[in-house]
Amino acid sequence: MSGELLDKAMEYASSKSRYAEARFMEISTNDLAYRNSQFEGLNFDTESGYAVRVINSSIAMAYSDREDWGRLKEAIDIALKHSQRPGKAGIWEGKPIKDTWSVKQRKKIEDTSIEDRVAMVREFDRIMAGAGATVRVNAVQDKRIRQRYINSLGSDVRGDISRVFYFYMIGVVDNGEFEQSTKEFGSSSGYEYLETLNLEDRITADVRDLHESASAPRPNPGKFDIIVGPEISGIVAHESCGHPTEYDRIVGREGALAGESFLTGKTFPYKIGSDAVSVIDDPSMEGSFGYYRYDDEGVPSRKRYLYRNGYTDEFILNRESASMIGKGSNAGGRSSSWDMEPLARMSTTYIKPGDYKFDELFEGIRRGIYIKSFTEWNIDDMRFNEKYVGKEAYLITNGDISGRVRRPVIETNTIKFYSAVDAVGRDLEFSAGMCGKGDPEQGVDVWMGGPHMRLRGVYIQ
Amino acid sequence: MTDDILDQLFRRLHAEGFRQVALELVQENVDQVRFSSNTKDLHNHWNEESISVFAETNGRTVSTVIKDASALDSAVARLKEIAARTPENPSFSSLNPEPQSYSGMPRARSSDVDIEDLASAMINGSLASGSERVAGLVYNRRSAVTVMTDHNRCSYETGGIEAVIRAFRGNFTGQEAQHFGIEANVDSSTMERLGAEAAETASLAQQKADVEPGRHRVLLSPYVMGNILTYSSGFLSYYSVETGLSCFSDLLGKEVSFPGFNLHDSPLDFNGVGARLCDEEGTATARIDIISGGVLKSYLHSYSTASRAGVKTTANAGIISPRSWQLQLDAGRRGYKKILEDMGDGLLIGNSWYTRFQDYRNGVFSTVPRDGVFLVKNGEISGSVSGIRISDSVTSILSGVREISREAKNVKWWEEIAPSSMPYVLVDNVNISRAF
Repeated sequence: MSGELLDKAMEYASSKSRYAEARFMEISTNDLAYRNSQFEGLNFDTESGYAVRVINSSIAMAYSDREDWGRLKEAIDIALKHSQRPGKAGIWEGKPIKDTWSVKQRKKIEDTSIEDRVAMVREFDRIMAGAGATVRVNAVQDKRIRQRYINSLGSDVRGDISRVFYFYMIGVVDNGEFEQSTKEFGSSSGYEYLETLNLEDRITADVRDLHESASAPRPNPGKFDIIVGPEISGIVAHESCGHPTEYDRIVGREGALAGESFLTGKTFPYKIGSDAVSVIDDPSMEGSFGYYRYDDEGVPSRKRYLYRNGYTDEFILNRESASMIGKGSNAGGRSSSWDMEPLARMSTTYIKPGDYKFDELFEGIRRGIYIKSFTEWNIDDMRFNEKYVGKEAYLITNGDISGRVRRPVIETNTIKFYSAVDAVGRDLEFSAGMCGKGDPEQGVDVWMGGPHMRLRGVYIQ
Repeated sequence: MTDDILDQLFRRLHAEGFRQVALELVQENVDQVRFSSNTKDLHNHWNEESISVFAETNGRTVSTVIKDASALDSAVARLKEIAARTPENPSFSSLNPEPQSYSGMPRARSSDVDIEDLASAMINGSLASGSERVAGLVYNRRSAVTVMTDHNRCSYETGGIEAVIRAFRGNFTGQEAQHFGIEANVDSSTMERLGAEAAETASLAQQKADVEPGRHRVLLSPYVMGNILTYSSGFLSYYSVETGLSCFSDLLGKEVSFPGFNLHDSPLDFNGVGARLCDEEGTATARIDIISGGVLKSYLHSYSTASRAGVKTTANAGIISPRSWQLQLDAGRRGYKKILEDMGDGLLIGNSWYTRFQDYRNGVFSTVPRDGVFLVKNGEISGSVSGIRISDSVTSILSGVREISREAKNVKWWEEIAPSSMPYVLVDNVNISRAF
């Protein structure tokens, strides 16, 4: 499909509605995988289509995947009919914007040969096997998205986005005990990103850590001072800051699905913890997995403080939720595909680094645990009661690491977690992820990250 | 796209040297209404077509999804290029070569349903039964599917109505999330009942209660059981077993639950939206006994995985990675209210979400209860509990099953519960953890 019907769709939809948008999107992906040294094939997909949103007495959307005006008009007519029935009809319109943007690639996806991709993933498997991993799953995906967004105000934004993603899962058995690890790496770039990661060292260290963790003792439950690594800072920022500050959750729009927010009904700014904690969501960070210059509603992106010095600050807003709070959208509108509605979503969410060197975080800890990474995690639908199970973890005695512990469990709540933070490191690392929300489920590419942090008096199970 | 295009693509792929080809044409019309705070948020309408392609030549496999009939030439050229430049795929041996005969299609209910009216009925039914506000959605989906391989051709229609409603009353919630296949009857009164049931759960206890962490007797609702068994179904795939990531490895033929536990895959039940006449390589589906009398009888297989395991396919292709279509846990003899009355002390859990595993090989996971979590004292609900988790393993939960209710629900919810039919299940010694 070329998207040649987009202007015609806009003209037709806007002539019969109070407000209209039309979007054409083409997504091309290549996925290949190795499982336990066996190549599992290369899948490629190219899909494209039109999404048209119309607003009259309520909001309706129609999606069509054919370059056929008769079919597209029929779909728009169905949406127009439904938009005449009662329902919510708020939308922030903003000013029209015309622009074109793209993601820079050095080692371009389209120039990377099939053989190079296969060889790369086979090499990851070989490294894992050599280090002693009995379970080895490796998958690489690249994605190219071309999009054009227009609306009845005159906006016209064209984007060309490239993303690369690498996922692996390993498992080891040591003395009859099993341990597993998954890692995700992603970037808005070409394949050059994977070359910057020093993956051989990372993978080898991960396998070694699993072997050592498998034979480590569980910690005795009790209160500890803890240091968490950037991987945990990142998941905490994502789960207990990013999600609860999505404004559509706060007003209940996700109530039957991913849930609401512990911030519903609160007076803002609301204190969420220590003044050492600030959390940022920044879609404008070039190279990040969640990078975009314009969101999927044609709104220019910018950095957003979600928590600032221990208090709530901005919420994540798309055009629809912005209308509910009486503000402008801050470019949170993302949809995972051409046939999905844009929802209020995160991009790159991270805890703002502080001043502490890594060694300084250990000073003054008499009895503690350093939890560098995590395995199982979950959080309730209010984004308040959360659990993180440590993967690579060590005891701290009198400021020094004194041996490994296996699967320490943090099971706490958002306010207690952020309130326990008394020192934030100056480092900053990111992990990639697929953030899920909505029905139909929409997985969008995100980064999450942060520095090492010290927390006082956390109960470890 | 039409069956002619399917035939054309099939011929083209063979002309380009592919030895085995499986195509799946899906033509889908879907409507959805989403609502929150008692009013409609959005009406979505989709009209989509696609052909999923799987092809093999000289041990090399390729796959894609074609959504644009005008792109057949470029798609075939790309598949040929990939096949020539990639290694063999040992996970594939063959498509099922045996001729299949398919069950007849049931008489389908009309797809002409006004889901805005159904959503209104559900909202009003819930508000009339005590909800203060509700959120949810209704889907009406109708799919025409044709699977074509070198050996078989199968066409069927599937889909139906899916309805989700979450009722809020003060700090308490209740949820219903059910599905109705193309053979099932569903009307406004069905929706009113769902709304009312969600409200009743939200109203069951208006005072809070605490529970100590540790092992408890727990009555799991159809939603919790659907959630745990949805995730478990991945472990029942032979693909997971041979990868080394299944807690059911080495348990074939062994006792995994109590004698009244009978779990099937039931894809021919068109009362549910997971129904289908064939799998993705054209094998005729059938009711598969997975666990019978508490004993693990079968993993889920495609033709390729079955060949490696030395058994017959169970018609669960996913050609490379088999999966379940529509799980069904057999109901028991007594009503769940009687089981509740007789359970003594413990917990009743209405729903759970965010199930995550720290150890696939041993099935160690936790899941977060929601939408009706109650402390039970002497068989009576004595308060509403929050802030807890089920932190246990799949095998431990199954081995702790003591009784299954007479009532079963067709449950499906978001990504947490695949379409299935589940009763209430009483389980002993479930490990409950809580936040500190």
